[in-house]
Amino acid sequence: MGEERAAPKPGPAAATAVELTGFVMGAEEAERAAAAAGVATVQDLLPLLVPSAMERARAPISRFRVGAVGLGASGRVYAGVNLEFRGLPLCHSVHAEQFLVANAAAAGEPALRAVAVSHMPCGHCRQFLQEMRGAAAVQILVTSDAAEGRAPEWRALASLLPRPFGPRDLLPEDVALVLEPHGNDLGGPVANGFARGDLDARLREAAEAAARAAHAPYSKCPSGFAVADGDGRIYAGGCIESAAYNPTLGPVQAAIIGMVAAGGGPAGDVVAAALVEKERAEVAQEATARIFLEAVAPRATFHVYNYRPSDA
Amino acid sequence: MGEEQVVAPKPEAAAAAAATSVELTGFVMGAEDAERAAAAAGVATVQDLLPLLVPSARKRAQVPISGFPVGAVGLGASGRVYVGVNLEFRGLPLCHSVHAEQFLVANAAAAGEPELRAVAVSHMPCGHCRQFLQEIRGAASIRILVTSDAAEGCAPEWRTVASLLLRPFGPHDLLPGDVPLVLEAHDNALGDPVANGLARSDLDARLRQAAEAAARAAHAPYSKCPSGFAVADGDGRIYAGGCLESAAYNPTLGPVQAAIIAMVAAGGCSAGDVVAAALVEKEQASVAQEATARIFLDAVAPHASFHVYNYRPSDA
Repeated sequence: MGEERAAPKPGPAAATAVELTGFVMGAEEAERAAAAAGVATVQDLLPLLVPSAMERARAPISRFRVGAVGLGASGRVYAGVNLEFRGLPLCHSVHAEQFLVANAAAAGEPALRAVAVSHMPCGHCRQFLQEMRGAAAVQILVTSDAAEGRAPEWRALASLLPRPFGPRDLLPEDVALVLEPHGNDLGGPVANGFARGDLDARLREAAEAAARAAHAPYSKCPSGFAVADGDGRIYAGGCIESAAYNPTLGPVQAAIIGMVAAGGGPAGDVVAAALVEKERAEVAQEATARIFLEAVAPRATFHVYNYRPSDA
Repeated sequence: MGEEQVVAPKPEAAAAAAATSVELTGFVMGAEDAERAAAAAGVATVQDLLPLLVPSARKRAQVPISGFPVGAVGLGASGRVYVGVNLEFRGLPLCHSVHAEQFLVANAAAAGEPELRAVAVSHMPCGHCRQFLQEIRGAASIRILVTSDAAEGCAPEWRTVASLLLRPFGPHDLLPGDVPLVLEAHDNALGDPVANGLARSDLDARLRQAAEAAARAAHAPYSKCPSGFAVADGDGRIYAGGCLESAAYNPTLGPVQAAIIAMVAAGGCSAGDVVAAALVEKEQASVAQEATARIFLDAVAPHASFHVYNYRPSDA
């Protein structure tokens, strides 16, 4: 792994953590923050933002907080944190790196260049990151290395998951990957769900848009989920599938990421939700969405809107 | 990674039989059977036999969604050989899928295997599987060979898990060194049963007993919510499994999947053959399986009866 380069030794002012004010930082703001922190580049700023990201983690089961901060090709900076949900199997958890990718995708980021993360990414995350074109070249730095007596250094993802299994093993080259535009054809709606009010209509619209943008090239069952909080604010997300199947981020988790990233409360603040998915989907989300809501927001209303693909 | 790789020995020209695959008759092969099969195939060791068994393993995969069968064959310290295949379940999110390497580990654990030495697998293990394998003590030194390398113009070679998942996150990051890992004996104290489930028949009683034994043997050091699941087929045969948690949480194998693995491994049935099931888990568990078990059964075996038996830990 000789290609690794040690992170530049920060000047005295840069040794302290820098506070995040949200989950996305604009390119100009990031440049200013880097200058104020006394580091040469925005990439060098990322590790200084990690402690602040960690504080936003929601880990009621493990109490093990993980924070990740990434730099996009656009110059924008994205944060990600781990989320855990009581009363559900562990596969409902969201890893910080997954949160970061979903956050970047929602913002229309075309590519991730570098990610600083508080703890060494697990195999599940190294796998999830393969869904991005050019994943091998994404630079990773682990800030906890310092506490373990190592100099934190940037290393290519390829060095952390050699000989990866990924999209190229299953998909033609021209299929859109994560962070690339998706326009899934949802076909015609099935008359099994009617939006009964303005909030319902807005939830349906948001879930449908999320399903159109979802990354579901393996199952061909794109799905979108939208949630509303008590103030009527709506947050939505679509599934982000993984070539390895299990690391897939479900649409429910993607919507909760949207809510947390926008500064919303915890999942328990959800008062209404909507799911848009294929009729009789081979990979179906409805039952799982119901048990998620029953566990974390039992009083939330929930509507499901199915669609029948045009080729059905 | 030069020092990690050992090229798989080229079989002698005389042992032309070694070039062909060897048929499996089940999901576990005893040590003596494995030695005999290696000799018959003309290979020097049982480890060299593993790649020849992979094509036969792949045929047992159940992949209605992807159509992408994966087979894995592993050698234990006991000399026994274990098979794993991938399983997919229609109508459920993809996180319910079982990877071949997970199946293999659960299969070995159920047989009381103390250690895995080597695994030959049809396709390069994904990151999720490389992570799941970390739950085994000494995972770093397990040897992996990918048989599909041959089709891609590479000589298949044995390499360590350590070389495939550098600087792993794993149990050592979260647990004290003396906590038992997968393939080590577990005896979870379940505490007292809660009177919310009564076994109404002999089959119910046997299912409960099997699920309880599976919960006692489950690997749940992270959530401290061990759970066990048992299923019965139409002939009254019972198969059970306990959760196998992962330090990374999401790669955890749920108790439902563990029981289905046992069912498939015992004779190649599918989840749709389940007629009755039972879950044993902690009351008000912070990591609870009941609702997920219900949706699994609704999707794959909708006519199966299902009972849940909760327990209240003694320290509650």
